[in-house]
Amino acid sequence: MSSENPDYKWRPVPTNHFRYLRACMVCAVVLTLDEFTRKGCPNCHPVLDYTNHALEMAQTCTSPIYEGCISIDKPTESWIAKWLRLDKYVPGVYATKVVGDLPEEALDNLNAENIEYIPRDGSENNLE
Amino acid sequence: MSNIRDANLHSDEEDDDDFAEEDEDPRPEKRQKRAPSDDEEEEEDDEDAPKPSGRDKSRNKSNGADEDDEIEDLEDDDDEDEDDDEDEDDEGPRRRRDRGRAHNPFLDTMAEVDEEDELDDEDDDEMEAGFIAPGDDDEELRHRAGDDRLHRQLDRQNQADFAEDLEKVAAEMRDRHGGRQRHRLGDSSTVTPKRLLLPSVNDPSIWGVKCKPGKEKEAVFTIMKKVQDMKGTRNAFNIISVLERGQSMQGFIYVEARRQADVLNALTNVPNVYARSGMILVPVDEMPDLLRVQKRAEITPGTFVRFKRGKYQGDLAQVIDVEQSGQILNIRAVPRIDYGAREDLDGTQKRKRVVSAVRPPQRLFSEAEARKHHDKDVHATYGSKRGIFTFQGETYENGYLVKDVRVTALQLENVNPKLEEVTKFASTGDGNESLDLQALSQSLKASTDKYAPYQPGDMVEVYSGEQAGMVGKVTRVRADIVSMSVQEGPLRGKDIDVPFKGLRKRFKEGDHVKVMGGSRYRDEVGMVVKIVDDRVTFLSDLSMGEITVFSRDLREASDSGGMGTAAGKYDLWDLIQLNATTVACIIKIDRESLKVLDQEGATRTILPSQVAAKIPPRRKDAVATDRNGSDIRIEDTVKEIAGGENRSGVIHHLYRGFAFIHSKELQGETGGIFVARTNNLATMIAKGGRVASSGPDLSKMPEMSKKPAGNMAPPIIPRQGGRDRIIGQTVHVRQGPYKGLLGIVKDATDTTARIELHSKNKTITIDKMKLGFKEGATGKILSYAEFVQPKKGFGGSGGPSYNSSSSNTPSSGWSGSRTPAGSSSWAAGNRTPAGAHGGGGGQRTPAWAGGAGGDGGRTPAWASGSKTPAYGANDGSRTSDPYRDGSRTSNPYRDGSRTSDPYRGDNDGSRTSYGQPVGSGGRTPAWNPGNRTPHYGSGEPGPRDSGTAWDSGSKTPARSLSSVNDQWNDSYGNNSSTTARTPAGYNATSPEFSGGYSAATPGASGLSAPTPGGLNAPTPAPVSAPTPRANAWDAPTPGGPISAATPGASGGDNRRGGYYDAPTPQAGGYSSAKTPGAWGNDDEDDAPGYN
Repeated sequence: MSSENPDYKWRPVPTNHFRYLRACMVCAVVLTLDEFTRKGCPNCHPVLDYTNHALEMAQTCTSPIYEGCISIDKPTESWIAKWLRLDKYVPGVYATKVVGDLPEEALDNLNAENIEYIPRDGSENNLE
Repeated sequence: MSNIRDANLHSDEEDDDDFAEEDEDPRPEKRQKRAPSDDEEEEEDDEDAPKPSGRDKSRNKSNGADEDDEIEDLEDDDDEDEDDDEDEDDEGPRRRRDRGRAHNPFLDTMAEVDEEDELDDEDDDEMEAGFIAPGDDDEELRHRAGDDRLHRQLDRQNQADFAEDLEKVAAEMRDRHGGRQRHRLGDSSTVTPKRLLLPSVNDPSIWGVKCKPGKEKEAVFTIMKKVQDMKGTRNAFNIISVLERGQSMQGFIYVEARRQADVLNALTNVPNVYARSGMILVPVDEMPDLLRVQKRAEITPGTFVRFKRGKYQGDLAQVIDVEQSGQILNIRAVPRIDYGAREDLDGTQKRKRVVSAVRPPQRLFSEAEARKHHDKDVHATYGSKRGIFTFQGETYENGYLVKDVRVTALQLENVNPKLEEVTKFASTGDGNESLDLQALSQSLKASTDKYAPYQPGDMVEVYSGEQAGMVGKVTRVRADIVSMSVQEGPLRGKDIDVPFKGLRKRFKEGDHVKVMGGSRYRDEVGMVVKIVDDRVTFLSDLSMGEITVFSRDLREASDSGGMGTAAGKYDLWDLIQLNATTVACIIKIDRESLKVLDQEGATRTILPSQVAAKIPPRRKDAVATDRNGSDIRIEDTVKEIAGGENRSGVIHHLYRGFAFIHSKELQGETGGIFVARTNNLATMIAKGGRVASSGPDLSKMPEMSKKPAGNMAPPIIPRQGGRDRIIGQTVHVRQGPYKGLLGIVKDATDTTARIELHSKNKTITIDKMKLGFKEGATGKILSYAEFVQPKKGFGGSGGPSYNSSSSNTPSSGWSGSRTPAGSSSWAAGNRTPAGAHGGGGGQRTPAWAGGAGGDGGRTPAWASGSKTPAYGANDGSRTSDPYRDGSRTSNPYRDGSRTSDPYRGDNDGSRTSYGQPVGSGGRTPAWNPGNRTPHYGSGEPGPRDSGTAWDSGSKTPARSLSSVNDQWNDSYGNNSSTTARTPAGYNATSPEFSGGYSAATPGASGLSAPTPGGLNAPTPAPVSAPTPRANAWDAPTPGGPISAATPGASGGDNRRGGYYDAPTPQAGGYSSAKTPGAWGNDDEDDAPGYN
C-alpha cells in the first residue's frame, strides 16, 4: 500500500492521542490533527490543498465529531470499504460517520474537479 | 478492484486508466522483493501440483484474492501490487480448486475469460495495455509449456513495448494533474447507487468479536497496527478490515475477512478482544445495517439540549448559536451559582470541588448577590446592552448563563424538555413572554419517548411520504407505527401502516378538542376554529381565548369543560409533596400551573398533575426546634439568624427540618414565602405566649400527675431550652450529705446539676431541687424553681387551685396538720366512690385552710356527703356545725373531744391525737360528720348517738363505720384511716355539740359564716361543688359556685340537688356549719325547702 502512495504511511496512534483524532469530512479518514496539518489528507490532498493554511484547512475540513472506526487494510477487497465508498482510498482508519459541514471553498474545489461530495453525516441514507 | 476500475473508466479516458496502472507501480522493485518468496512457494507448489499451474498457484496465493486476481496473474497484471504484499499460506479450498483448474491452460484461460466478463471492458483494455513486467514472466515462462504461452508472451512483449510509450505519456499526465491522489478522490465523482453495492456471497464475511466495552476504538487501532507491522512478513495477517461502531454496538468489534481462521489469527493476543470466546458471523443481509448511519438531528438556534455532565448535568439549555460547523454550540442555561462557595475558602480549588458536591439550585444570576460575595469578580459589560456580566469566568446575560459548549458534552436527542424547564427560558423579561412554540416543537418533535400521541379511534392524516394525503382512522398503535384504516380515496377500506413521522391528527373546524400532555395548555378544552398545517387554533371554553397548539397534542374531547385544574384543588400556601424527598409551598396559582417554592429554596412552575400529594395542614402542635433549642411551632414569629439574610416572618409550615415562613417585608417573586432550616431560626414571638399555657399541658403529662403534690416544682418549671441558666451559678446545697456546702454549677441536666464544691475538691451530682441560689441583688437564697422563674411565685401563681395546699401549708403553718391528714385523706376520698365528694373537698380544703375556717369547710364536704345520704343528715350536719365551732377554738374542742372520750374511749385517743394538730381537728370534723351520719343513719337520733357516731366515724372510720353502717364503711373503706383521724377531732367536738344540738346548728351557721369567710368560700365551692354533685347527680353543682359566693346558700343548693350526697359534700364543706343546720332540717324534710 505504501507502494501506492509513497507519501503516505499509516502510523499508529497512541491511545492518549485519540482525543486529537479528527475525520476528514470528504473521505472520512481518521488522523490526528497534527498529521492533517503536516501532510494533509492522504486522499483529498490535491483537491483540498493543505499546503497553505494547513492548520486552518485541517480545522475546517476535518471534524472531531465522528462515529465508528474502521481500519481498512485492503480497501479494494473490502466490502465495507466499497459500501462506504472508501475503496479507492489509502489503507488506514476511517469513520463511518463524520459530522460537520464542509466550508464553501472546499465544496467549490470539489465541484471544480467534478467530484460529487458525499456527506458522511448519515444523510446519504435517505437516498437509498 | 475491477470495480474501481470501472468507476475510473466512467470518467476518464483509457489513458488515464493506464496511468492509473502505472501509477500504482513501484512494481518492479516490488516484484523483486517478492520474487524469492515466490520461488520458494513455487517449489512447494510443485509438490502439490507438479505442473505449470504452480505459478498460478503462487500467484494466487500472493494475491490472496479472487478470480479477478487470477486473471491478472496470467496477464501479469500489476494490480496485484495493492494486494500482493501479503503472500500468505494457502487460502483454503477455493484456492486449491483454482490451482486445479490451472492445470489446463485452456480451462484456465477460459475460466479467466468467463470471469472477465464480469469485469467490463476495462480488463480487456488492461490486457491489451499489457501491464506486465516482462522480466518476471520470462522467468516463469520457462516453467511453462505450451504454445499458448509463447504466443502470449509475444503479445505481451509487444504490449509491454507499447506500454512503455504509454507510460511516458502517463508520466506527463501525472505531472500535469498532480498525481494520483487527485485521481483517487476523483474516483468518487460518480456515485454508485448503494443498492448496487449490496454485499454478495463473493464479498468477504464479517465476524463480530467480543471486546471490552469502551475499548473498541483502541482495539481497532491496535489491530491495524499489528497488521501493518506484520505486512510483508510471512506471518502477515489476512484480514481485510476491522470495524467498530462505538455506542451503537458496544462491546463488539467486527472483522472483515475471508476466513474465520484469519480473524482468529489476527486477533490473538490483542488486548481487550476476546476472539476465543466465540465470534458471530454477520449474515450477508445484515451487513448494510451494521454500517447504517443515522443522521443526527439538525441543531438550530432555539432548540433545547441537555448537559451530559458536569455541574449542570441534566439541565436544559437552549441553543443560541451554532459555531464551528456544528461542533460548538453557544447555549444559554439557568445558572447554578453558589455565591458563597469560595467566600471562606480563599480559593482553595480542591475544597471548592468538595463543597460543590451539593449543587446549588437553579437561579438566575443575581448581580447584587454576586457583588455581595465577590465584588471583584463581577464585571459588567456595558456598551451593548445592559445585563451582561462576567462572573468568575462565566458570562451571564439577562441572568442566564451563556456559554460555548462542545457538542459532545451535550445531549441533543431525546431531550424532552419539560414544561417547567422550558418556562424558565420563556420568562426572560416581564414573565409574560410566551413560549417559543417553534423552538419547543423542534425539540419535541425529535423526541421519541413521548407519550403515545395516537390512540385508536383518532382521525389521522398522512402528510409526507409515499402515502401522503391518506386520511383514516387509527386502529392500532405499536411502537411508533400506526395502523390506520383508510377512509377516503382510492385505498378506502384498506389498512395501512404508517410511522409517526409524517402522520398528524386531523381535525375539522368546529370539533371539540382537548389538549393532552406535552403542552402548557394541557387539559384545556375548546372548539377548533382554524387549522394551519399541524397547528390547530381553538377557542378555549374556559378563557374564551384562542389557543394554538400542535394537532398531535389534541384529542377529540369527550367531556366538556375541564376544570381550571389548579384552582380548585389547591390554595395559596398549601404545602404539597412533589416527590418522596421534596416538598414545596405553593406561592402562586395560575390557571394551568402552580408556582411553588421547594424546600431547597428553588422556585419552579409545575402542573397540578405533577403534585404527588397535598400535605394536609399539620396538626397545630407540630413542633420543631430552633437554634436555641426552643420549641417553635406554626404561626410563631421567627427570625433567620444564620445562613440567611436575617429575614423574619411567621411560620406557615414546618416540614422536617424546614420551615416555610411568610414575611411581610419580603414580597416579590416568592410572594413573601421563604424557606429556612429550623436550626437557623430563632424564635421572636411564640404564638399566644406559650409559656403560660404550658401549665395545662404539663398536667396532661403522666409522669407529672403521678408525682405527689409536695414535689411539684419540676413540672411547673417549663423546660428551658438551650444552655441551662444555672450553669456557672454559685449555689449552696440545702439537703443531703453535702448540705451547707457552696459550689459552682458546672453542668446540668433537667433534674440534676453537677456542682464543683468550693470546700472539697470534688464535683458532685445532685438534684437541682436541693440547691439554693443566691439572688444577686438581694442576697436572698432562692430555690431552683424560684431561680429559674424569678417572676412567678412558682407554686402560688402557677396554679392556685393545685398548689394551694402546699402553698398554704408553708405560709400558714397549718401544713403540718392539714397536709398530712387533710390532703392525703381527701385525695383518698376522691378516689373512692365517695371520692367524688372527697375530691371536691380536697380542693376546697386548701382554700379553706387558707381561710382558717378551712377545717369546717373540708369536713363538711365529707361529712355532709356521707351523712346526708344515709341518715337524717340533719343531725350529722348540725352536729358538724357545732364542731366547727369547736374547731375554731381548737383547744376547747380538743378538750371537748377528750371529753368526748367518755362517749367513746377509743375515739378519744384518736381524737386527742388529732386534736393536737390544731387545725386538723377542726377540719376533721368534716369527716366525722360523714362517719357520724352513718351513725345517725343508724337511727340514733339522740345527740349522743350523733356524738358517738361521730366519734366512731371520725376516729377510726373503719371501725366506727363498720360498727355503725356497713354501707358507709364500705364507701369509706379506703379512706377510713384518714377520715378516721379527722373525725376524731370532730367527734370530740361533736359530742359537745351533740349535746347542744340546736346550738350546734346555729353555731354552725354562725360558724359557717366565718368559715366561708372570704377565701374559703370561693375556692371550695367551685371545686368541691362540682365533683360531689357530679357524683351525686347534682346538676345543681353550679350551685357550687353559688355556694362559694355564699356558702350557706351553696350548702343549700347542694343538698337540695343531691339531697344526700350533694348537699353533704358542699354543704358539708362550708355550710356544714350553716347548712348542716339548715340541712338538718332539710334533710329530714326537704332539701328543696332549703334551697
